[in-house]
Amino acid sequence: MKSYDVVVIGGGPAGLAAAISAKQNGASVLLVEREARLGGILKQCIHDGFGLVRFKEKLSGPEYAERFTELFEEEKIDSLTLTFVTRIEKEKDGFRVVLVNRNGVEAVFTKALVLATGCRERTAKQVMIHGTRPSGVFTAGTAQHFTNLLGVMPAKKCVILGSGDIGLIMARRLTLEGAEVLGVYEAKSTPSGLTRNIHQCLNDYNIPLHLSHTVTRVFGEDRLTAVEISRVDERMTPIEGTETIIECDALILSVGLIPENELAEALSVKLDPRTKGPAVNGQLMTSIDGIFSCGNALHVNDLVDYVSESGEIAGKNAALYCKAQRKEIDISISDKLLYAVPQKLDLNKDNSKTTLYFRSRDVLNGCTFTIKKDGEPVFSKKYAFLRPPEMENLLIDFSSMSLNENSKIELDIEVKNNA
Amino acid sequence: MNIDKINKKLQKQFGSAVKAELSDNIITVKGKLSKWSDVVAACQTAATKYSEIHVVNDIICEEVQNKPMRVPKLKDNALDGRKVDVLIIGGGISGVSIARELSKWKLSILLVEKEADLALQASGRNDGEVHPGVDLSKGSKKHYYIRKGNEMYGQICKELDVPFERVGQYVCFDKAWMKGIIYLYALWRKKHDGISDTEIISGEELKRREPNLREDFKFAISNPSTGCVCPYGLTIAYAENAAMNGAEIFLNTAVTDMQVEGGEIKSVETNRGTVYPAIVINAAGVFSEDIAAMAQDRFFSIHPRRGTNSILDKKAGAFMHSVASTVSLNFGKSHTKGGGTIHTVHHNLLLGPDAVETYEKENTETRKESIKTVFDKQKKTMPSVSERDIITYFTGVRAPTFEEDFIIEKGRKTKNIIHCAGIQSPGLTTAPAVALDIEKMAVEELKKIRAVEKNPDYSPIRKGVPVLNEMSDEERNELIKQNPDYGVIVCRCEEISKGEILDALRSPICVPTVDGIKKRIRPGMGRCQGGFCSPLVTQIIAEFLGVPLSEVKKSSETSVITYGKTK
Repeated sequence: MKSYDVVVIGGGPAGLAAAISAKQNGASVLLVEREARLGGILKQCIHDGFGLVRFKEKLSGPEYAERFTELFEEEKIDSLTLTFVTRIEKEKDGFRVVLVNRNGVEAVFTKALVLATGCRERTAKQVMIHGTRPSGVFTAGTAQHFTNLLGVMPAKKCVILGSGDIGLIMARRLTLEGAEVLGVYEAKSTPSGLTRNIHQCLNDYNIPLHLSHTVTRVFGEDRLTAVEISRVDERMTPIEGTETIIECDALILSVGLIPENELAEALSVKLDPRTKGPAVNGQLMTSIDGIFSCGNALHVNDLVDYVSESGEIAGKNAALYCKAQRKEIDISISDKLLYAVPQKLDLNKDNSKTTLYFRSRDVLNGCTFTIKKDGEPVFSKKYAFLRPPEMENLLIDFSSMSLNENSKIELDIEVKNNA
Repeated sequence: MNIDKINKKLQKQFGSAVKAELSDNIITVKGKLSKWSDVVAACQTAATKYSEIHVVNDIICEEVQNKPMRVPKLKDNALDGRKVDVLIIGGGISGVSIARELSKWKLSILLVEKEADLALQASGRNDGEVHPGVDLSKGSKKHYYIRKGNEMYGQICKELDVPFERVGQYVCFDKAWMKGIIYLYALWRKKHDGISDTEIISGEELKRREPNLREDFKFAISNPSTGCVCPYGLTIAYAENAAMNGAEIFLNTAVTDMQVEGGEIKSVETNRGTVYPAIVINAAGVFSEDIAAMAQDRFFSIHPRRGTNSILDKKAGAFMHSVASTVSLNFGKSHTKGGGTIHTVHHNLLLGPDAVETYEKENTETRKESIKTVFDKQKKTMPSVSERDIITYFTGVRAPTFEEDFIIEKGRKTKNIIHCAGIQSPGLTTAPAVALDIEKMAVEELKKIRAVEKNPDYSPIRKGVPVLNEMSDEERNELIKQNPDYGVIVCRCEEISKGEILDALRSPICVPTVDGIKKRIRPGMGRCQGGFCSPLVTQIIAEFLGVPLSEVKKSSETSVITYGKTK
């Protein structure tokens, strides 16, 4: 059985960054990818806007991926593509990873694991759409796969449900390909996608955005013929009597992403119900020693730049991993926050450069983000606004806060004048 | 049956709007009502449960918009002029099991199904429970067939290579005082139904076996012979075995009319030409009354009843491992077995179904009320089930008669038809046994006109597509060495390989659509519902057929997925 210091599962932006960073930190690394090519979902994201934070350049998805795949090749990192992890067994001092590919079933041993398995899209049934089961109902990612990778049109006249970024991107993409996009409907009262995407993908193409509306029913025996739209109340429950029928041949869903953690769960990794990803410490290590998590498997990011960043952190720490006693305290959050990552700090580690990611629960204007230690603010930062679709990240020096096992860390947002 | 009594009751309920007539051992209810629910109520008033004198519904209902049966777009002459010994109408569990049993004989067998695949109606839209048969009345056909069917399941599923498990059923009670009564009831049931293994288990024992059921259950009836099967998987397997043994299966083929002369069906019209059968078998589900009418042998009516089931993530599947339900004190009132929580053979959890009367035979739309009804009820059995774990839901339409029993008999007026009608729960359980009887009836009829010999090439064995994710690493490795495509995983949720998809495309009844492949080997059945794999499956089908991607459909000819190249 081949043996590695680090096995990275997933060859998207998180996995690539993790593998490169683990290798650069001296580890022997194997990256496992189930598709034929590395790059993950970036391969089908042919629009630009990737890498603004990291490279100060507007790259397309494939271009962004290429920056990493080139480096990956230069580092001569072992990789297996078209290879699927069927299960992982915990062993003494490491893990046995069972792989399936065209050569058969094979197992490799590794000291540390980086789970970079990305996320999946919520489906029509998960948002309780009823009616018939026609063709023409796609998640945005599936529609994007058909359009950009297979070069075929999934729609002529469509309605988009959900203002998540992929939905907005697909509104523009399908319009450019000659399809008619009748409108984007969003159950929330505020958009779910990045502000820049609302402008560049909808406003620039006169595609209307209808907030507080959702699709409740689909029609059509064979191909979709129409959808029923209802207005929703503040709890996002459809209001009876507000139904209107819109004729269309496709419904594109961008109703949320769910981190893929089936492998993690099978290993009894504890998940954070808020992020639906593993609860991790500042080193991005999960509740199980030697298992690290990054990218969209850890929590759903809005920019790939942060995905790569978390991959690097996880990869580096996986390379440096050696079994040691943990001394962990929780980072708790107030109800003003949707979530924060990491959820824990290991006081036995150097936490002087901890990257902290968080999202606010609501749209907040003129507010201050604070870190409280035992109720006392030890860090604060002012924001003109915080919006749930836009993730914030901060570099925090937790090591200088003289924390001990009994310290209580809480993240909070104070709002002065929320207009 | 006293027709005057019936009319008195009808008079009381509906005034002079409806009236029942008895002739030729048929009770025909006539008149005019505005609501379908009243039509059902009137016919139920006229009907006697399990009676062989059936109610025929001739009430004009103002609310009913009778949509014609959906007929496939396809029109050709593929079957025109064909003479066959047996024409089976309907590719559900009834039709295909009959086709398979008849394929033991040297006969020309043609099965027609109007849909693009087998098991697309009730047979593919039920909960897959193989019932123990502890709640039916003696004298009914359901009771006659249920134990026979149940006991055949192990053997049939082995022969046809279909996953089947006797997972056992628990009917749970929360009132300790009922234990004595239920004990006696169970004793009586055992004798009445000829079951030896039914027992009462304590609340503690139930908790030990199924720790996630409701805490306060005091005891339960345990029926270990209850099983679970993939209903469409079994239907497809039966059909494949029939096809291997020489039966012809024609999908997208609808019966539209018949010529009947002197009490005999002379020919049958389809969208693919005129067929000349010696015998017709009516296994047309919700349309079995329509087929009987075409054959001038309408002596029963079907009142469609829809039910919705929800499928939960495999993570919820780990909550329990059997079939469980709670008894409401509403014995005999409701026309469903009450539904339940079921651990499926694919290790999901299935909740349902509900039961709602409808005049729409082909409306399988789902409604949010159904999901709520089912969850409210099943939470009483297992409080931890959550709508959040739903990965999909579907609606099926049952085909009951007003007598709520099966019709398994030769035509009453037309001699060369055999009806397998009124099939509803537990029709999946009874199908293997019913098929044997219909085989006998058909052969007996055919022997009147000619000699019928055994099919010397008949084999009861059908091999399904190998399921690699259930194999040991060694077995799996061995198969991949033989065919590397088995090592290319296409569907990540259900772990289905390209090799398995190609096998399904090469199976005896190839249905090269995304749904056809999904039904056979499950890509797209998992938690992402085909989000990742549907483009890949589409591509594999297109490559296999050598057609552009836009030619690959979801299911029917008109269920287009993509429209051709981008700019």
